[in-house]
Amino acid sequence: MHERRAKQKDSTVKMATSEPKPADTEEPQPEIPVLPTSDQYVKHPLQNRWALWYFKNDKSKSWTENLRLISKFDTVEDFWALYNHIQQPSKLGFGCDYCLFKDGIKPMWEDDRNKLGGRWLMTLNKQQRHNDLDRYWMETLLCLVGESFDESSEDVCGAVVNVRPKGDKIAIWTSNCQNRDAIMTIGSGYKGRLNLPSKPMISYQSHDDTSSKSGSTTKNMYSV
Amino acid sequence: MTSSTNKSCPIPTKVLTLKDWSQLPDRYSQTPGGTLFSTTPGGTRIIYDRKFLLECRNSPIAKTPPCCLPQIPGVTVPATHPIGKLQDLKEEMEEEEEEDKDNSDDNQFEMDI
Repeated sequence: MHERRAKQKDSTVKMATSEPKPADTEEPQPEIPVLPTSDQYVKHPLQNRWALWYFKNDKSKSWTENLRLISKFDTVEDFWALYNHIQQPSKLGFGCDYCLFKDGIKPMWEDDRNKLGGRWLMTLNKQQRHNDLDRYWMETLLCLVGESFDESSEDVCGAVVNVRPKGDKIAIWTSNCQNRDAIMTIGSGYKGRLNLPSKPMISYQSHDDTSSKSGSTTKNMYSV
Repeated sequence: MTSSTNKSCPIPTKVLTLKDWSQLPDRYSQTPGGTLFSTTPGGTRIIYDRKFLLECRNSPIAKTPPCCLPQIPGVTVPATHPIGKLQDLKEEMEEEEEEDKDNSDDNQFEMDI
């Protein structure tokens, strides 16, 4: 934390130089810490600490080797600092993913807090990569960090965006596919936030069904 | 909260007595015992609406890249960035090393595709 304070102090000092100088010409006294008084430097804490992961499909490596932690954050400002300085999903290569998960939950089915869960899945068509993908992903992130689903936010584990040649996907992962009420609250709230039309519906699938599917389709447990 | 009622709820408050300065939180934006800017009734969850979050996007702090961001070409640095090329070289070298290791070590994370 001292680091952070020091940094804030620094930027306060820098900012001050670009503002009109006060009339007094007293020597600066560096021993006295300059504490930020402006709201600009306040960080707003989030309910959860979040971890952003990046997955790059390199066939010469195993799945876990391809998964990389980018950064963690637990304030609104640190979220934006990260978001503002990384590539948008639409500019990632095919086969790449971003995953935002609560700290402590790995972005994989096998994690204890995912294994009984599932996901609300939104499949985009090719045109939507340019029109909607980045916008939808940002809204998804805001839903998560802002805890937009009331108490059902407790069930949220994270979100994943997959960039794929056939069509991109965005999903919100929840912890238990039997928690119907929470899942429905999240699904309808999410659809509303993205301003999606009532048709087509989006569907919820359990990770268990997704991982054990035999054909190309997975059973939909819920739809909204 | 039941959505059927529009009555206002009192914001829950609590009073804490600090015995020592060390009990002060280490962030300016927090008060002792946990700061809740915008909370659900009962004060259990910190929630932010879309508008507020978007307003914070251009705060001075949000304009500074996070420290210790890993250098990932095309993600955290431009794909054509010199560091990107260096990174590729480094990865290649690491891969070679890995291959050497792999000869003696079973890769237990191999997945069936």
